[in-house]
Formats: sequence, structure tokens, C-alpha cells
Amino acid sequence: MSISGRTGFARVVVCDDRSTRRSSEGSRVSIVEAEAVEVQLEAPSGLWRDAFHLLIRNPGAIVGFVFVGVFVFAAIFAPLIATHDVTEQNLPLIANGCCPGPSGDHWFGVDLLGRDVFSRIVYGARVSLLIGLVSVSIGLAIGLVLGAMAGYVGGIVDSSIMRVMDVMLAVPGLLLAIGIVAALGPGVKEVMIAVGLANVPIFARLVRSSILAQRDADYVVAAKASGIRRPSILFAQILPNAISPVIVTATLAMATAIIDVAGLGFLGIGLQDPDETPEWGSMLTEVNEYLQTAPFLALIPGTAIVISVLGFNLIGDGLREALDPKLRGR
Amino acid sequence: MLRFVVRRLLLLVPILIGLSILVFVWIRALPGSPADSLLGERTTPELVREYNERFGLDDPVYVQYWRYVKTTAQFDFGVSIATHRYVTDEIRERFPATMELALAAMLFATFLGVPLGFVAAKKYGGPVDHASLFASLIGVSIPVFFLAILLKYVFAVRLGWLPSVGRIDVESDVEHPTNFYILDAIITRDWATLRDVIRHLILPAIALGSIPLAIITRITRASVLDVQNEDYVRTARAKGLPPRIVDRRHILRNALLPISTIIGLQVGLLLSGAILTETVFAFPGMGSWLRDAIFNRDYPVLQGGILFLAFVFVIVNLLVDISYAIINPRIRYS
Repeated sequence: MSISGRTGFARVVVCDDRSTRRSSEGSRVSIVEAEAVEVQLEAPSGLWRDAFHLLIRNPGAIVGFVFVGVFVFAAIFAPLIATHDVTEQNLPLIANGCCPGPSGDHWFGVDLLGRDVFSRIVYGARVSLLIGLVSVSIGLAIGLVLGAMAGYVGGIVDSSIMRVMDVMLAVPGLLLAIGIVAALGPGVKEVMIAVGLANVPIFARLVRSSILAQRDADYVVAAKASGIRRPSILFAQILPNAISPVIVTATLAMATAIIDVAGLGFLGIGLQDPDETPEWGSMLTEVNEYLQTAPFLALIPGTAIVISVLGFNLIGDGLREALDPKLRGR
Repeated sequence: MLRFVVRRLLLLVPILIGLSILVFVWIRALPGSPADSLLGERTTPELVREYNERFGLDDPVYVQYWRYVKTTAQFDFGVSIATHRYVTDEIRERFPATMELALAAMLFATFLGVPLGFVAAKKYGGPVDHASLFASLIGVSIPVFFLAILLKYVFAVRLGWLPSVGRIDVESDVEHPTNFYILDAIITRDWATLRDVIRHLILPAIALGSIPLAIITRITRASVLDVQNEDYVRTARAKGLPPRIVDRRHILRNALLPISTIIGLQVGLLLSGAILTETVFAFPGMGSWLRDAIFNRDYPVLQGGILFLAFVFVIVNLLVDISYAIINPRIRYS
């Protein structure tokens, strides 16, 4: 109920309802007293606080936070953690064939050009995190505005926006991203835009449907009746209430974005120069022929991708459960 | 029912028009003009002008768009720059490969995922349930290409049980009338080839089917959990029907409704995943073909291939919607 407790009108209704129920449960308190207790109880709680408490008690989500924490830590402090220069080639190391495995000097071994895999993984976290964050933000920002407009304004605006989204959804995600990279050319910025744009229709649809569900709620009617302007109703009243599925999807979209970026990298159409900027997906590209002799070259970057993706998926699932109690255990 | 199908078909028209505009605009956004990419770098301005005139590239945009729609509607996508073959001919060869792979992946995912999800829901909270949740979480978190590499490493490189690349043994010179190799082998009663083709299909299909498997397991579980608390299930139990029959007729049949939609939604994922899986296994389908086209800047192939796949995707979604309406009468009348 605290969701709809954002307007004064709804809050009164909620409190009234709860206090009568409480007094009917046996203990003899007056409605005023009960309400005073209720208000006190209510003060520190709220959807986000409740959700947070549920989230930190969810073992899956905690594992998720640990994985993502490691990933973010590696990304931020890459220059301090890396043991070697990522572009430094050490050809004598691979003189006896590809490739020497993990050792004291090279914790994760060296790659086809004798470069330190550990350092490349650490710097790769940077690239994945950066591209993931920016591309999800792009998709979220555009999708949020488009979906909110479509859902709230309705009519011709709704149908024209949603038809364009339908067309974008008609092209499978990775294919759309490939098409956009082909048009823009390879590069970090270009991959961000490509993966971000491929996300737009997903967010637009979600925001639209979640706003449609809120549009005729009592608190919106109350806000309208009290003369609040329409854009203000949309952004200050409806959006905060419609946002929780969007947050869940954004977290899961981080996971998908990391996979997509790695996929583009693996196909060799992601970054301009994967030798200069190490990227997990492109680290997997050439190892195909060396599976026999150096399987670790595939295992290590692959595991890095799985762990970071798993982390975001676990947090996303935890958030979903925390924000929507109906889904618990599903 | 007919009205539903007609309405759904009419909805297809704006999407196809939009799609054609999207691809048309996209081709023009690609770097380098068609003349440059076809004539090479050592061309002269005269040659470029002549080429542009011959192919009408100087005409106004709307004239070009109309011509493009006309040729595309006849499935004429031009000639590949890399192989100098008709794009349509190449699609005819490669699309069946991808289709076979996608179908095999979907079969794998459905026939494993539905029973797994069902058992997980029946044993709610038990070890099977937890294991299935954990496995499906891993399933959606592994990139398709990494799983493909892992499978290839374990079953092809290490154990040597299955072939690691291609669609059929390289020494095979069997005729392929339909290009669906499994179908061809069955038609010609060539059992050795059939066995070979299936062996080549197993690893790519498992890799490609892993994400749909995870999703189907999860949705089946949630859906069975929902349905088994319905009143009609309780009624069926109360009137003394054997549990097996209640499971099959009352629970599973109703739980399959959302699952059928999910299966339809996986098509896009399958097409995206096919590009990656085919690359790992050097599987000669649409995916590896488009990947090569990107490297060769083979614009006719990219344009035709992407448009064709998007078209297939739209049609499959239409079929899924219609079949959903057939299975679920509630949809038809809303």
C-alpha cells in the first residue's frame, strides 16, 4: 500500500484502513492511537526500504553483489591490479608453441602473442562495464521517454511510437546491433550506441505497459482533480510508481548487454582495435584453433563473462522478488 | 477465428512497410557507396557516373525506394560481391541449414525443458527444484558462443565423440534436393548420411538450445505452480481422478499455454544465437554467411540476409500468434 501512499489523499485512506483492521484484531486501541502507532511504524518503511531489506537477506542476490563487486572493483582499479602492460608482447614465451599456462609470473598464462592474460582480463572488465552501463543507459533513457509518452498521451502518439518499436523488434537483437555497427563502423562508442538502440524497444514497451496500468489509478485521478499539470503528473506521480519493473529489467539488461558486447567482440565486429583495448569476447575469437593445446585461453575469458553476467542476473532476480512479493520463489 | 487471422495479417502490412524503410535507410547509412564497393578503389569518376546511371542511383530517393520495394517483393536481392552468385540462391542453400539447426535446438529445449520444469514444480522446494533453478540461471548467463566452445572442447576435441565442424562429412558427395539434409537423407533412404548429419547437428543444437532450455524450464515451473492451485484442479482431485490424469489433463494442458508463447518469443534469440553458434562450429548457415558478409562488406548479402531473416521472424511470430489462438479460445474473442 505504501506504493500508492505518495499522495496525501491515498495515505489517509491507507492509514484509516489499517488502523481499523488492527483494532479489530483484538487489542483495544482507538483509531487515533492506532494511527499514531501506524505513522510511527510507517515512517522508516516504504517500498524501497522494504525491498532493500528483502534484497540483503536474499542469498542469491548477495552472491550477485559479490560477483558484480569483484567485476566493478577490477574495472575501476585495473591499472593497480594488472601485473603487466596489456599490449606488451613477450614472443620468446611462446617460442615452444602456444601457449604456456598459468605460472607465478603470469597468473592466467599468456595468449597467442605472449601477452599476459590476467592483465587483459582485468582491463577487459573495464571495457565490458563501461559499454554495458552506457548502452543500458542509452536504451533506458530513450525507451523511458518514448514509452512514457506512448503510455500517457495515447492516441496517435502511442500508435506511431509503438509501430516503430514493433519494426525494431522485428529484427533479432544481435542482428540489429550488427546492422548498426556495420553502418557506424567499429569502435567503443559505436558498440555502445548499437547495443543501446537495440534495447530501446524493450524498455519502451515495458514502460508503456506499466504506465498504462497506473494511468487510471485513484492517486492519479486525485492528482488530476487537484489541478496538477499533466507532465508533472507523469514524471512526479506515475513514473516513480511504474519504475520498479523497469529497474529490474535494467539490471537484467546489463547482463544481456555484456553478453551482446562479448558476442560482437567474438564475431570480430565490435571494437576498432581489440589488441589495444582488450575485450573478453574478442579474446575468445582466435582460441578456437588452440583448444587442443591451450584450452585455458577460452576458459578464462569465458568464465569472466559468465561470472559478471551471473552477478547481474542474480541481482536482477533478487530485485524482482524484493519489489514484487507475488513472484517470490518463482 | 478467420477474423482473428485476417486482422493479424493486416497488422503485418505496416510492419513490413516499416521494415523495408528501415533496411532501405540502413543501406544508405552504410559507409561507402555501392559504386565504390563494387568497382573497387581504382575506379574513375566516369565509371562511377556510368554505374550510377545504369543502376538508377541518381534518381530521387522515392523512385529508388519504390524500385527497391519492387525488386525485393520478387525476392530479388541482387548478386553477392564476394561470390558473384545470386543472393537468393545462397539463401536457398543456407537458410535450410539454419532452420534445421534452430528446429533441433528448439526440440532439445522443449522436450527437456517442459518435463524438467514440471518435475521441479511438483517437487517444489526440493533438491530437484533448486537444481533446476540453479541450472536455468547458469543457462541464461552463459554466452552461446562460450558454451559452444566448451562443448566443442569436451565432446569433439577431448573425447572425440562428435565432429567439431561443418554440417556433413567433408568427403560426402550426396545430392541435396531440398537442402534440408535430414529430410534429404530420409527421402533418399540414405541412413548412413542421416546418422552423419545428426551427429554434426547435436553439439550446435545443444549450444543454441541452452538459453531457450533455461527459459522454458523456468516458465514451465512457474506456470505449473500457478495452475496447480486452480479450483478446477482441486475439483478434479476431489472427485477422485488418479493424480496422473489430473497432472496431464488439468495441469499440464493449461500450463502449456504460456509456454507456447514463450517458445514463439525464442525465435529472435535463436536467430541471434545461430550467428554465433554457426561461427564456432563452421556451420554453413545464414549466420556464418552474414558474419563473412560483414567482413567482406558484401552489402547485397547483408541487405538481403537481414531483410529475409527479419521477414522470417515476423512470419514465425504471426504463426505463433495464430496457433496460440487455436490452443487458447480466450484469445480469439478478446
